[in-house]
Amino acid sequence: MTPPAFDLRPYLEELERFADGQMTPPEQAAFEGRLEQDPDLYRAYQAYEQLAADLRWVAGHETLHQRLLALDRRLDQRQDALTRIRRRQRKTQQQWGAVVVMGVVAVLALWLVLRPSTPSVEASWARYYVPEAGLPDDVVNESRRPLLAEAMRQYRDGHYTDALHALRRVPTSSLGQDTLLYYSGIMLLSKEGAEEIRAAQPFLRRVAMQSGSQLAGRARYHLGMAYWRNQQITAARNTLRSVANDARNPYQDAARQLLRSNALPQE
Amino acid sequence: MNSPQQLAEVLTSLRIGNQSYLITFYEQNRDLFARWARRQHQLVPTAAHELLRAVLVTFYDQVSDGRLTKLPPDVRAYVYGLADEKIRSAHTTEILPKNEASRRQQLLGLFQQLGLDCQKMLMYFYFRGYNFEKVAGKMGFANANVARLQKAACLRKLYELRVRADAASA
Repeated sequence: MTPPAFDLRPYLEELERFADGQMTPPEQAAFEGRLEQDPDLYRAYQAYEQLAADLRWVAGHETLHQRLLALDRRLDQRQDALTRIRRRQRKTQQQWGAVVVMGVVAVLALWLVLRPSTPSVEASWARYYVPEAGLPDDVVNESRRPLLAEAMRQYRDGHYTDALHALRRVPTSSLGQDTLLYYSGIMLLSKEGAEEIRAAQPFLRRVAMQSGSQLAGRARYHLGMAYWRNQQITAARNTLRSVANDARNPYQDAARQLLRSNALPQE
Repeated sequence: MNSPQQLAEVLTSLRIGNQSYLITFYEQNRDLFARWARRQHQLVPTAAHELLRAVLVTFYDQVSDGRLTKLPPDVRAYVYGLADEKIRSAHTTEILPKNEASRRQQLLGLFQQLGLDCQKMLMYFYFRGYNFEKVAGKMGFANANVARLQKAACLRKLYELRVRADAASA
């Protein structure tokens, strides 16, 4: 460390007043005169000028240091504020996200509860189909037509394959062709298999087309129902409509009920 | 700030005490520098910011005391180089011995021992060049005469510190 060249303290006030321009013109003229004649004062003046120059450097250094510190604090505060804002935005977005998810879940749950129930085909069939009762015993006359009686018995008991088997063995001479066809179709339809339902349709269609047969109206109903069961909706609707419009058809009410319901899809 | 003319203007303005170039530099490069310092020297952001401030002050000192007569064409690369150098020297050497410390560095240390008001007033007067009226306004003194007396007292205090430090080291 370099020691100070000169002890300024006795001269400091005067040198400062001179350097800062605080002297009156006569004082300044006198001081300048002394500077030229007094070597100690001159040395003190030089030491003061060096101190002032060093101080200017130190002050510049410290000013920049403190300005940078203040700027740093400001930037940190800005960063914190931005982080806070981003956090708040994220929180709001999360809240809105949760609200939207909850809304979607609520709507889904509401839809599940209130959705129009589409009954299964089996349930609708069981509800709307009016099965054929079969020939009464007095018409069958068992002593004369035992195979037909057997077929009807098996049919009523729900043994449709056996019933169909027995019916096929009934001699055509003892039973009308339309009756044979009609019950063949009925028994096939009663088996409720997709193949059997399709197989039942030609039998029932042939009877339905025999305008002179007493079974034509009934066959038309069962044919319409066979179409419905086979998902031939247009054919089912048209056939059942003709049943519903036929006042003499015993299945008129059943056909109307089905047409009015939602079970048969609209065209 | 790339053309030689612009760089020369920066140098001139820094020499006359206009520090805005370095303030803007710090504002624009603080985060970038922190990322670089984290990758290169594993410094946390606070330490990196402190390092950049120290480097900029060193850079300013170099310009203001005439050690740097020509502004480097890539100021950022130069500043990063200074930072590298500072870290390396911090790792390898201790603080310079007292007898090698410059007069200005000694005065800087003594200046930092002054109260904040004294520091502020001497900075206003000796660096910013405010007159006593303006200093009085900034510091909340009644008039320019009070500011003058306060400045004189602070300068005397600093000088006394220097005399004491010299006596202690002698």
